[in-house]
Amino acid sequence: MTEARRSQRSIVDIATYTLLIAAIFIWSVPVLWVVMTSLKPRMLIFNSPPTILFLPTFSNYIEALETGGIVKSIINSTIISVFSTLLAVIVAVPAAYAYSRLRFRMRTPLTFYTLLMQMAPPMGLLIPFYFALSKLGLLDTYVGLITIYLTITIPFSIWLLITYFAEIPPELEEAAKIDGATRFQAFLQVVMPLARGGIAVTTIFAFINAWNDFLYAVVLSGPNTQPTTVAIFGFLAAEESRWGPFTATAVMAMGPVVAIALVAQKHIVHGLSLGGVKG
Amino acid sequence: MSDLPSAAPFALPTDPRVRQTKRQRMGVAEERFAWLMISPSLLVLLLVGTLPLAALIAMGLYRIDLIGYRPDGFAGLENYRDMVRDDRFWASVWTMLVYTFTSVFFQLVIGLALAMALFRPLKGQGILRVALLLPMILAPVAVGLTWRTLILTPDYGIIDAFLQMFGLGPYPWLTHPTLALVSVILIHTWQWTPFAFLVFTASLHAMPTEPFEAALIDGAGGWQRFRDITLPLLRPVIVVVIILRTMIAFRAFDAIYSATGGGPGTATEILNLYAYRISFTSLSLGYGAALGTVLLLITLMISWLVFRLRQHNQ
Repeated sequence: MTEARRSQRSIVDIATYTLLIAAIFIWSVPVLWVVMTSLKPRMLIFNSPPTILFLPTFSNYIEALETGGIVKSIINSTIISVFSTLLAVIVAVPAAYAYSRLRFRMRTPLTFYTLLMQMAPPMGLLIPFYFALSKLGLLDTYVGLITIYLTITIPFSIWLLITYFAEIPPELEEAAKIDGATRFQAFLQVVMPLARGGIAVTTIFAFINAWNDFLYAVVLSGPNTQPTTVAIFGFLAAEESRWGPFTATAVMAMGPVVAIALVAQKHIVHGLSLGGVKG
Repeated sequence: MSDLPSAAPFALPTDPRVRQTKRQRMGVAEERFAWLMISPSLLVLLLVGTLPLAALIAMGLYRIDLIGYRPDGFAGLENYRDMVRDDRFWASVWTMLVYTFTSVFFQLVIGLALAMALFRPLKGQGILRVALLLPMILAPVAVGLTWRTLILTPDYGIIDAFLQMFGLGPYPWLTHPTLALVSVILIHTWQWTPFAFLVFTASLHAMPTEPFEAALIDGAGGWQRFRDITLPLLRPVIVVVIILRTMIAFRAFDAIYSATGGGPGTATEILNLYAYRISFTSLSLGYGAALGTVLLLITLMISWLVFRLRQHNQ
């Protein structure tokens, strides 16, 4: 009986580990494949069956950098994402605090309004934005892009922060108020330090969402403000078979986001189950 | 409300300590303070969110062709009349529904099955977490481009390279109408099944153990425990995942646009892509805005559902 049980157990173990390895394989191979291709010498890229072992080279990276625009696009992405994230977090933190803690008329409708704004269809915002920005001569400017990214980053940040504020026990503020602190002081000196972690995660998410956007950028940017997502796209649009430089560009464009995600992975996984990123 | 890791919109504070009954006097100071705190975000959202959406609805009533012979001007409901007769519009709605429901279905089933199967102490969980995290944080446009080239190119892509070991293929993954739709659904499912997996795993961890112990004593089998205990307990989370993923699938653009561009022909042209082509390729902003308004209506309906659900959970 115990013998049979043990062998049954080990079969389940083998099956589970096979599944685990298969899952790791399915989700990591495409990503690893991009990194591998970016390091392959040009002649080996179209080998069939594919070459697995080779001497890595940086020639694709050099070629990608020489094509120009990549470095500039990384700078553009950084400027646009940093500003739209910072502005969003600055207005979202007090708002989220109010929605999660304070009692006021219109709280429910305004909460719903924030949700609506988060769900608003990107295409529905893009069409009037394009029309207005072209009339104002603001196409291909940082201001135009940062402004439309606020529609992604603000509602998202408010929603995520609400859940983080809700985790902080209200007794602490009550105690501060009894000690003579004003509401604002209690918020600033008691709640804010405790919410630091949540604010950090929210900042990371807002940044990634802004960095990853393609739709708004492809319509509203131009040669001066083109971010990385548009740059990678342009790479293949020009020539379908330049896999080497394309993958090198993709690695450089996604590098910052992947680095952030790996450093903060535990927090990001937690945040994901709370709010989820935009797809 | 249980301690489930529901998505943010479902988790407004329910802490009774914060709640006050209406009979209690609302502090005027608190009211004023609250408005002070929310007004910056409200102001910005009104300006960059609500105003454009109002403009969208208005633009839908105009004819605005940046190229073309027809003069611009007020058109009333003409755009909507055109829409009803527009076969390509209806086709794009249908494609959007197929795309959304199949990809959400697969994300849900695969995500739940994996979460159940791997819900025990295993070595290598850390590696799995990293492997699952990466697809979700990558730009969908980079994912779409990678699949179009490295993965789905006939003969040279890794899928065909793999299938060739069994003497299969090559397949025209992105150039055959049906296969192209299958491919874009596959791409979306690949990128977002990890989300469902993570949420389900987190809620399995948060589950009470008592019902399972009781069921074991009663001699319930594995499937019975799953059907009678796990599934009912997971129900709220499943609903959350379905709604969130449906919403995201309706917004999908980048990955499809970069993988197939909506083609071949219009085989993978979901409503979002059609509205894009009308607005920014044909530059018919009026008709594009009318299509955008339809998308807005769909969104309103889903948001309302989410909101009702959130209140129900409270």
